[in-house]
Amino acid sequence: MPSKSLSIPLCALLTLAHIHAQEAPKYDAASVQRGKEFFVSHCGFCHGVNAKGGEKGPDLLRSVLVLDDENGSSLGPFLAHGRPDKGMPAFTLTPEQVTDIANFLHRAIYAAADRDTYQVHNIVTGNAQAGEKYFQAHCASCHSPTGDLKGIGKKYDPENLQDNFVMPRPEEHGKPLLTISVTTADGKTVQGVPEHFDDFSVALRDSAGNYYSFKRTTPETPRIEIHNPLQAHYDLLARYTDTDIHNLTAYLVTLK
Amino acid sequence: MTISKVLACAALAASFSRAQMLDPALLGKPAVDAWPTYNGDYSGRRFSTLDQINQGNVKHLTLSWVFRVKPGAHISTIVGGEGPMPAEGAPPDPDMSRIKSTPLMVNGVLYFSTPDNAWAVDARSGTQIWHFFWKTKGGIHIGNRGMGMYGNWLYFETPDNYLVSLDAQTGKERWHKQVADVKQQYFSTPAPIIVGNHVLVGTGGDSLDVPGFLEARDPETGDVQWKWWSEPLKKGDPGSETWPDEYSMRHGGGMTWIPGTYDPELHLYYLGIGNPNPVLTGRSRQGENLWTCSIVALNVDTGKLVWYFQPSPHDTHDWDAVQTPILIDGEFQGKPRKLLAQANRNGYFFLLDRTNGEHLLTAPMIETMNWSEGLNKNGQPIPNPKKEATVDGVLVSPPTWGATNWPPPSFSPKTGLFYVGVVEAYSLFYLTDTDPHPEGYGAAERDAGFISGRLIAIDYQTGKIRWQHKYPWGGGAVGMLSTASNLLFTGDPSGHFLAVDATDGKILWHAGLADDIGNGPETYLLDGQQYVLVAAGDTLYSFTLEQ
Repeated sequence: MPSKSLSIPLCALLTLAHIHAQEAPKYDAASVQRGKEFFVSHCGFCHGVNAKGGEKGPDLLRSVLVLDDENGSSLGPFLAHGRPDKGMPAFTLTPEQVTDIANFLHRAIYAAADRDTYQVHNIVTGNAQAGEKYFQAHCASCHSPTGDLKGIGKKYDPENLQDNFVMPRPEEHGKPLLTISVTTADGKTVQGVPEHFDDFSVALRDSAGNYYSFKRTTPETPRIEIHNPLQAHYDLLARYTDTDIHNLTAYLVTLK
Repeated sequence: MTISKVLACAALAASFSRAQMLDPALLGKPAVDAWPTYNGDYSGRRFSTLDQINQGNVKHLTLSWVFRVKPGAHISTIVGGEGPMPAEGAPPDPDMSRIKSTPLMVNGVLYFSTPDNAWAVDARSGTQIWHFFWKTKGGIHIGNRGMGMYGNWLYFETPDNYLVSLDAQTGKERWHKQVADVKQQYFSTPAPIIVGNHVLVGTGGDSLDVPGFLEARDPETGDVQWKWWSEPLKKGDPGSETWPDEYSMRHGGGMTWIPGTYDPELHLYYLGIGNPNPVLTGRSRQGENLWTCSIVALNVDTGKLVWYFQPSPHDTHDWDAVQTPILIDGEFQGKPRKLLAQANRNGYFFLLDRTNGEHLLTAPMIETMNWSEGLNKNGQPIPNPKKEATVDGVLVSPPTWGATNWPPPSFSPKTGLFYVGVVEAYSLFYLTDTDPHPEGYGAAERDAGFISGRLIAIDYQTGKIRWQHKYPWGGGAVGMLSTASNLLFTGDPSGHFLAVDATDGKILWHAGLADDIGNGPETYLLDGQQYVLVAAGDTLYSFTLEQ
């Protein structure tokens, strides 16, 4: 049952496993753009327009010379001489041009290395008709294209739409993911949003904002029931094919 | 013992006159009155023969002291490093305040590290003896697994890839040596392991596409004795047939994030190797990509590869194989064997013969796993190519962070059970770098559902889960310690430190800490009394029995 809204344990886990990006370096956008233009016209023929290497020149995003460079301090002297033995010409550049090229290359390296900034492409590849069929068979008992999902294709871009039906994130809209009810030995029941739940105690907040906590004397006492309105979404995770997911996305984006 | 050996021992003993000295003989046997290396001993079992704390009295475990770290440069701090001094009053990087290392305990003193920081603390009282701070040139500060010790010398690694040696007595620096280039996005996390006169030093960093390696360095000078690359270096070398070309193998990743284990009889160092690069897309590196995602056995004196087994051939999900390869001396199918077991990030448990790498057993640890098409004749999972990241997204379990992760598991020879924290979850993997030569990760991941977190006890002879404890809320990879009194110490996802019955998983004792436990718990005898030490967040907690 637990899910991503149970954010404390999940975040703790992610800090164990995920590599944190370093603080984003700042590159002057205009300088990067000028560097890019120069690079494409003067260097792209050999090194590729994205600097990832071409038929003659190496990948500069993996070049130790470029990686070790700081603000053009190594690149400038290098470009002034080139590498004539390998067919790399010398360039006469102003200090500003060197800085622009360095900024373009370092920005491109940063973009490759920082996975948190990767951009997802157009993901609408599925068959909308097949998606509608899947929807009718698996989703229509809870959702309606003319009811709760009306205009959903306008509300979200395709990536967020897909991410959200695979695993909805009500907590991002200030809504609880699930509710629990706790029934004590004397038969009293309290219902609300869980605030804490472990092997030793359980706590919740009811709709009036009151906080309750209970010691768990045995796994069954007090009795705890979990009401997860997203259970059907969890169950589908093991049943979807990737094609089902893509078809559903293709269908849902049509609900403008 | 020959006379010359006796004399050599006497000379060694004489040279160990200072209180902090580590007797190297401690490293090869289960820890009792010391915790002298990352895993307590070379086996990686994190099993203690101590039984003063037992199932009957564990409920009387009580807090002895706490020690909260204050990283950064303070008045009494010893400062080293080649980077700039942090601005006065600037808050330290929060990752410096997360203790992930397993402290060494030698002669009543604890030695541990976080990124850029190292401490010596009195194990009797929690009093700081010294603090060392390293001025960094950068690098990702995600974590530091701890220190290694040789005689009176300590060794630790920094995020900007220096091996730093300190005098254990004073905390003063002896020397530092560069291990890798931070500009190439290397950053170093492992605890150095000392075997004989070798300091074994690994590195990390998979943001860009650089090759991994392990080095042996001289404990006195810090000079490189040998260097083993985790990929073949040129076409025609063994393993190069598993890469399309030299270029891809030289940019193929394979980091050595986590310390390995060692068999003194076989003279082999066992090390789990990191994932290949580019990380989440394999288009530019067709093939099995040796020795990424492999368990390798290296001759500790030469650094030569003796055997390997690859749990994740051609990985495209960041499932490094660096989880501790635990050495088990026990029966398998009725015969005593020298074994090696690993609970792998990819969701499977593996059992090998550690003399030659022969595969003995592969067993799934989680039910949600959906990436494999079964096992090949060598017992390796066969990756389903359709579960590699696509532009429109594929749903995969486990996520990149795996069914388990680096936190140390434990094996008890008393119960025959392997203890590990596992998680069942899904992620969507989107290919973002569609270039024929992708770089870095090459794909993005979006969390897609957390199903369960469990503590499981695996029968190493069958791979079957003997018992499991599912947490009501969260859970996953977390450090473990087992003891001869059939206690298992670990943490739950709600900030509790737990003592569990190692035979059936029943929770016998718990204490709420200020954070979830962040390292592997350890135990030792001090002044005749057994202590259990654990870190949670920025604090060490020392527990012992009420007197």
